[in-house]
Amino acid sequence: MSALWRIFALIWRDERQALLRGALLGVLVLLAGVGLLALSGWFITAAAAAGVVGAGAVFDVFRPSAMVRFLALGRTAARYGERVLTHDATLRALSSLRVRLLRAYAAAPHDRLVRLRGAQILNRLMADVDALDGVPLRLILPVLAGLVTQIVAFGVLWALAGWRMAAWVTLGLVAGSLVPLIWATMAALKPSRRAETAAQAFRTRLIELVQTRSDLAVYGQLWPLREGALAADAKRQIDRAVLDRIDRLTGFALSVLGTFVAGGALALGMVLAQSGAVEPGYAAIGFFAALALMETIAPLRRAVAEVGRMAQAARRVQIEAPTAVMPEGTCWADVLRIEGLGFQRDGARTPVFCDLSLSIGPGETLAIAGESGAGKSTLLLLIARELTPTDGTITFGMMPLQDWPEPDLRAQVMLVPQRASLMAGSVREALRLAAPEATNADLWQALDSVALSTVIRAKGGLEAHLGPRGSGLSGGEARRLVLARALLRRPAFLLLDEPTEGLDDDTARKVLDGIRRHLPQAAILTASHRRVETDWADRVLTLPYGRTFAPPY
Amino acid sequence: MAVMARQAASADAQALVLLLQPISAELRLASALSVASSLLWLVQAGCAAYGLAGIVTHGTNPWWPVAGFVLSGGLRALANYWSEGLLFTASTRVVVQTRADIVARETLATEGLGAGAVAALAGEKLDLLLPYITRYAPAQARVRAVPLAILAVAFWYSWAVGAVFLITGPLIPVFMALVGMAAKEASQRQMVEIGALNDLLVERLSALIDIRLLGASEAVATCFAMGADRLRAQTMAVLRVAFLSSTVLELFSAIGVAMVAVYVGFDLLGLLSFGSYGAPLSPAAGIYLLLLAPEFYQPLRDLSAAWHDKSSALAVAGELATWQAREASVLLGSGSNAARLPGPATIALRSVAVRRGERLVSYSDVLIAPGEKVALIGESGVGKTTLLRLLAGMLVPDQGCITVAGHLLTKDVADNWRARLGWMPQAPQFQSGSLLHNLTFGRTGDVTSALRLAAVEDVVAGLPHGLSTRLGETGGGLSGGQARRLTLARALFAAPDVMLADEPTADLDAATARKVVAGLMALADIGCTLIVATHDADLAARMDRVIRL
Repeated sequence: MSALWRIFALIWRDERQALLRGALLGVLVLLAGVGLLALSGWFITAAAAAGVVGAGAVFDVFRPSAMVRFLALGRTAARYGERVLTHDATLRALSSLRVRLLRAYAAAPHDRLVRLRGAQILNRLMADVDALDGVPLRLILPVLAGLVTQIVAFGVLWALAGWRMAAWVTLGLVAGSLVPLIWATMAALKPSRRAETAAQAFRTRLIELVQTRSDLAVYGQLWPLREGALAADAKRQIDRAVLDRIDRLTGFALSVLGTFVAGGALALGMVLAQSGAVEPGYAAIGFFAALALMETIAPLRRAVAEVGRMAQAARRVQIEAPTAVMPEGTCWADVLRIEGLGFQRDGARTPVFCDLSLSIGPGETLAIAGESGAGKSTLLLLIARELTPTDGTITFGMMPLQDWPEPDLRAQVMLVPQRASLMAGSVREALRLAAPEATNADLWQALDSVALSTVIRAKGGLEAHLGPRGSGLSGGEARRLVLARALLRRPAFLLLDEPTEGLDDDTARKVLDGIRRHLPQAAILTASHRRVETDWADRVLTLPYGRTFAPPY
Repeated sequence: MAVMARQAASADAQALVLLLQPISAELRLASALSVASSLLWLVQAGCAAYGLAGIVTHGTNPWWPVAGFVLSGGLRALANYWSEGLLFTASTRVVVQTRADIVARETLATEGLGAGAVAALAGEKLDLLLPYITRYAPAQARVRAVPLAILAVAFWYSWAVGAVFLITGPLIPVFMALVGMAAKEASQRQMVEIGALNDLLVERLSALIDIRLLGASEAVATCFAMGADRLRAQTMAVLRVAFLSSTVLELFSAIGVAMVAVYVGFDLLGLLSFGSYGAPLSPAAGIYLLLLAPEFYQPLRDLSAAWHDKSSALAVAGELATWQAREASVLLGSGSNAARLPGPATIALRSVAVRRGERLVSYSDVLIAPGEKVALIGESGVGKTTLLRLLAGMLVPDQGCITVAGHLLTKDVADNWRARLGWMPQAPQFQSGSLLHNLTFGRTGDVTSALRLAAVEDVVAGLPHGLSTRLGETGGGLSGGQARRLTLARALFAAPDVMLADEPTADLDAATARKVVAGLMALADIGCTLIVATHDADLAARMDRVIRL
């Protein structure tokens, strides 16, 4: 529930004005609805009473009938305004929520991003955020508008038909509806969570079945997969049936409540009128008000049915507080200094390494060598601020790494990870991602530096189309395209994780020399296990596992 | 264009009717209950009107109208509860059955819709039938019965009130039709926008780390912000039309109710002398008519609120019909685990031809002896992959026959034949289980030597949890070459008599390609037949025989 409040607070902060106006109109709609039915009821009952005693000619008919028309038209207009206002405000807030969410993901810790799949994030940004529109539109605003309407109705009924009628109608409806609504909300939470998990399991398993069916048919594995998918759906149907029962029972309870309260108001009106405590028209008003006030309660049935889904979506759409933004464009560095650096993974018993120190300046090339698992990639990730060190300091120029504004850091430091990804699109688009302003000449120059221009020319030049994840290029070609993309950033510090993986020795040498030629002033750090790369570097730092060592001078 | 659109629409409608055939009995009962529940309001309102008239005239015993009101209200709630329950069960039955059909057919299909499209059809889209069945269908029944009943009652008491209903009622569908057309267009634009935004996002979201390292986060976020805002504008356009339509309905309903109220009021005061038959309305009749007025319009409003459900259901039914009508190649046999087919693994093709789209691909007769190494070469699209699929029983030839191990390759022996095959596809796919499960499928055997022969021990050692590492959709963190070598290990583990490999060295770097070829050769050395579709001249040169297709 607190997650729902948090989402509402977020939407409220963005769109307070529009929501406030919308809520006001919402109250007007409900009040006009109650007023319309109550006034019509009173008008007819009072008119009948006047007709019975023959006082029809002196009865004021024009004011009530004008009021009836005014309420009918006003209510319709207010309803349209309320819907447009609240929906527009909510959609605006959700749209900016989506963007903020994407920004938060783009700034999320490295470990978390590695674990997340693109499809999962897409679900958060689209489906989950979509599910949240019900929080203001169908839950919180209707509840608030309903409460205000009930309070006003209580006052008016008290004034016209006495406190007994007011208490019976409004307190009866509010208190009576709270029980089924709260019960349904509580009861639906667990099954709706289970139903959604099962729905996701079904989708995943079916996708897997279709993707792997040819491979698995050969190994006689189709049936377990098929049974798994259908079992997930069967599980979901069980929970859906529970949810449906809860929903129907809520509907039944609210319907009976409405009948009971209206019937009671009718009886009370009769008693009051017979005893002469209240005049006939006002005695009837309670009954009509009770009928109309059900409009404040009946729509909540749908909100309650959705609460489970909304609460889950709200929990998943957690937004971390944005980090403080520093003035950008002011920072510049030439030397990287690392002192006493240590890193230990969460939950690991031994550190990956500790007390590591080094420094590197413009034009220098340092290869970091060592066994698999010695922490070569980890060191590069630490320098690129993708991970946070447990000990020691990393300083670029005069400023500690953690103080660098993100855009400045990315302009100066470029890391090419081991498994850099490409996306569907043209070669030009792939390269322009790094440098939107680069000219064709720049792009070709970068491709030349990684010995890829001949290949790309043969594939049709910069317009050559890459498939999803850059398919259409061999592993070595994709590797070189990723390197070319990095060169276009013209960073002061270039961090390369096994840059020539998948290239033969000759090509590897050509590529490495090309990189240096392209960026003569850059400090280049590589994580390397190949001879070609360590031979090419000015110096080599070999990482022993978890031991202390001196700077490599 | 318009004619074609209309034909398509009526085909969708037919498909929907056909789809709901199995539950038509429940639908009828539930609709009848829903109508009965609405008509009970006539009784309930009657009781209330009698009671209220009693207030005016101080005459009647106050208790039976109240009891009648509450009792018939309870009955109404019960009828609704029952009807909703029936509809839920029936709708679930249709959807679950259709879903099972889709899964069953797609399990055995060997080509056709993509995985995402199948999952969407069997998942979210199929669920769109539920609101149509549970909301639209009963609302439709109510629209047919309830307004007519109320109209009759109105005319019984007063022709003026009846006339109000008669004039305002039919105008509603006219306006609805106009608004509906605009709504359809707007919602199509919205669908396009959603699709475009998803396409834009899906790959970028998988590459967020790279985007950040490239300093492109802001550019991607800005691009997304523009897309999200366009989507919002489109959604709002759809909603505006929907709100407008319900406003029109509400307006008519409000005007109708107000006119009835004013007329009845004036009549009761004795200020009007027309509209009823002879005598003026009694107080009870006047109040009764007022209570009935909103219910006259309510079914139409319910129907229009469910209008969207109908158009979605029609679209889904149409899509299902297209899916069903599609000719799909089907796996021979059931794809279940079976005993190995006995006999030496000879393969013979006799005048085999298979239709691929418009084209008929025919093969010259081929005989492959056990243990032979054969390369299939030829231009892209000549039918190399198709031949491998024919040999694995994933495609059925349209002409001629294939004999394997002395048996005609039919559905009765296909599973047993496949138990002897190894399979290296061009684009490897893994289940999202552990690597070990993907290699062995829970069978026991010598994993270590399969890994050694396929030269993937280093790949496994490099994974965070070795053999227990969980693989994702397309092999998780594996490179294309690594994934290809793992499918070799998987094939090796199955100890096949015949290995079918589709372009085993395409897109691989030279060193990796050498490792893969060495693995295949090791397999051939222990007597396994190799059939390799390839463009790679070096690989083809190492085979016993080259078949040019």
